[in-house]
Amino acid sequence: MSSADQSAYVESAVIMTTVRIVSPFSLTYGLFLLFHGADSPGGSFQGGAIIGATILMIAFAFGIDATRDWLQNRIVVALSAGGVVMFAIVGLVPLAFGGSFLEHSFFHDEWGIKTKWGLEAIEVAGVGPIVAGIVVGLFFLIAAGSKPTDSGAGAVDDDD
Amino acid sequence: MISVVEIGLFVFVVTTALATVLLRDVLAAVVVFAAYSLGMAIFYAFLLAPDVAMTEAAIGAGVTTLLMLLTLARTVHKNKGRFWQRPNVPGLVVMGALLVVLLATVGEFPEVGAASQEALAWWNPAVTQHYIENAYDQTGVTNAVTAVLAGYRGFDTFGEATVVFAAGIAILIVLNREVFTGE
Repeated sequence: MSSADQSAYVESAVIMTTVRIVSPFSLTYGLFLLFHGADSPGGSFQGGAIIGATILMIAFAFGIDATRDWLQNRIVVALSAGGVVMFAIVGLVPLAFGGSFLEHSFFHDEWGIKTKWGLEAIEVAGVGPIVAGIVVGLFFLIAAGSKPTDSGAGAVDDDD
Repeated sequence: MISVVEIGLFVFVVTTALATVLLRDVLAAVVVFAAYSLGMAIFYAFLLAPDVAMTEAAIGAGVTTLLMLLTLARTVHKNKGRFWQRPNVPGLVVMGALLVVLLATVGEFPEVGAASQEALAWWNPAVTQHYIENAYDQTGVTNAVTAVLAGYRGFDTFGEATVVFAAGIAILIVLNREVFTGE
């Protein structure tokens, strides 16, 4: 995949250096928003979007194919699908034990788990991964189309 | 009340919005549109909506611009020499009418916190006040926005998250076909 013959990737020292310095900060910021969204502005959607954007930035600087090699489509889709599943599980557990769907206070009343953790679980394990996964997945696929399609031949059996 | 920075920001946002519409070159329009999104993000921060500002900065100015640039890279880029795009007259008329309608409603908004009959119907204090008073005790999170989104309206958020997921997967499948199995 990483044959540089017809690839649109151009190595740029300025962009690579900038991204190398900025990305740790933006990743930390995204994680902070994700994990601290319950007590400060921001939250899972913003955090997920910024984490996704950080990966886009890295891919832009160091080559989309190279980034795609270590972060495969399968992982990206699994991330978003896992988010939906986690969200549903948090909602369904109270339902299974006699509460209502997404009844967060049920966790507290039955097992003494703070209501807060139900909300955090939705934010951190649900919405965040969904947003990050979809952002990165869309980017990879549109980027894959931005170079001549012949190099995509190897990826057909990979996804279909 | 309205600071110089806000006026400058307003002029910047309106200018970039107009430039996005009127620029002939698509690449230039995309870049100016990113600047517009960044201006709007700062604007939202001024309007005390940091959550929206972050989303606008990350999605509007960052991700969307990148996706549009990548799409442009795939198309044939040709410039016909003209710098400005001639506006489409029927489109201009429709958008102008919409603008008039929207601006007409702005004057009808009740003042924030007003207690008249219409104002109460508008900001719905029964629900709003319930969230403000009970969010911390009932959910234990100090950001009321999170309490509403993940707690009180968790079912809505579940629907939204599922829609984002379903739409994303659908686009991935369709694009995958186009990209990897020929046009």
